[in-house]
Amino acid sequence: MTASAATIAQPTHDAGAEPLIRVHGLGKHYGALEVFRNIDFDVGAREIVAIVGPSGCGKTTLLRCIDGLLPHDVGEILVGDQRVIDPIPGVAMVFQHFGLFPWKTVSENVAYGLRMAGASKADIARKVPIFVKMVGLAGFENAFPYQMSGGMQQRCGLARALAVEPSVLLMDEPFAAVDAQTREILQFELLRIWQERPTAMIFVTHSIEEAVLLGHRVIVLKGRPSGVHEIIEIDLPEPRNRDTLRLARFAELRERVWATLMREAREAEFVLER
Amino acid sequence: MLNNAIRRHAPFWLSILVGIAIWEIAGRSTSQAFMVPFSTTMLELFRLVTSGEFIRQFLDSSQLFLTGFCVALAIGMPLGMLLARVPALRIGVEPYLMLLYATPLVALIPFILSMMGFGFAPKVLVVFLFSVFPVIYNTVEGARSIKPEMIEVARSFRSSEWALWRDVMVPYTLPYTMTGVRQAIGRALVGMIAAEFFLSSTGLGQLIMTASQNFDTAGVFASVLVIALIGVGLMRLGTAIEKHFARWRQ
Repeated sequence: MTASAATIAQPTHDAGAEPLIRVHGLGKHYGALEVFRNIDFDVGAREIVAIVGPSGCGKTTLLRCIDGLLPHDVGEILVGDQRVIDPIPGVAMVFQHFGLFPWKTVSENVAYGLRMAGASKADIARKVPIFVKMVGLAGFENAFPYQMSGGMQQRCGLARALAVEPSVLLMDEPFAAVDAQTREILQFELLRIWQERPTAMIFVTHSIEEAVLLGHRVIVLKGRPSGVHEIIEIDLPEPRNRDTLRLARFAELRERVWATLMREAREAEFVLER
Repeated sequence: MLNNAIRRHAPFWLSILVGIAIWEIAGRSTSQAFMVPFSTTMLELFRLVTSGEFIRQFLDSSQLFLTGFCVALAIGMPLGMLLARVPALRIGVEPYLMLLYATPLVALIPFILSMMGFGFAPKVLVVFLFSVFPVIYNTVEGARSIKPEMIEVARSFRSSEWALWRDVMVPYTLPYTMTGVRQAIGRALVGMIAAEFFLSSTGLGQLIMTASQNFDTAGVFASVLVIALIGVGLMRLGTAIEKHFARWRQ
């Protein structure tokens, strides 16, 4: 038995239960350019779904549609029983370039989402330190973004999203703008935090390793316009941690995603050559 | 420590002393009708200040300057942000702004005089026109340079339009507006003197005009010196304000 059933009382994903996010037949154009079509997938309430695909395949556009930042043309997105047209409560996004407000301190940035959600002053004062501490920024409450490294800035971005206690976290290549070492540290931090507070999560990334390490399922987007090419079940034991990287099954799954993507990359090259 | 401070500031004070010396010598070796020496200027300034005449005119000018400048800020800043947020409005309004910014505004004074006559309001309008354009211009440039990602963050967290202005647009744009404010200070001072020259004569402008008409060169020099010093002081204040609002920028 290689699956997670052997571990008891560990947080596990519940892909079998009623999904929280449902994406049905989603399609999107930018003018004459069709970005993607017929996207179908679900995400469970305690499931991490990673989306990988070649550059320009519309992963980020898809995520922005799911956040309600961009309108979609065809199909529908449901979070719980709410249709997404505009940003809805309970969904928070972590941005690739952090999206921190440079004139706000760490605490003020973390408080931003709460303030926009109309939280009381007392509530904000109580919650902000909890999330600042959770992401490991205790002691930097009054630092401005320009005083911090990229890794610390993204910790702040993560705390801002977590602070609104969302049921859905949307991650837009959140670790793409930090160096490799920091990226690894942040991946395990994210796993630790998710195990503490599991949510539905869609994690868009360029990194196959990151997708396999974090995702319970990996969605490979393909083609032009892109569509869901393959959904790969990642049956690695929970909880995921540094040891996960050493498992033979991890290498196997990584190879499998890699092979799928490389086939795509070659096809894409072919298209360009013709 | 003290030695360092002296070494740093010595060239400045030395240069000031040399300047005063040249002024003094030049003033003593030419006709008093063209130029008066530094010492005479200072004596005249002292007389003007102690007679109360100077303070009265100074307050008069300050009132004009502050009113015009505050109106320019109160209109320029929100207008600039609105123009940045509503592209169609900006495209429509920009040619007129550019036209007015490029016009030597002194040329408009006769027109303002015939439209509004003498009094306080037309003078405020002149100061306003001199100072409003750098404020608008810099505010628009600033507000337009907001990274789209920041607007996205605000939208993603379900910010209202009002909260977007309060939490994102205004704090982001303020340093740019302050650059405009610094540029506007110098222009507002020119506008103030021009208004006092060409419209109803009051304030420091009147002091210069009257002294000049009476061939009172010392009076002219004293007033010009004070205006120049006020200008320098205001510019430095502007730079300090600009720095204060930009402290989060690297």
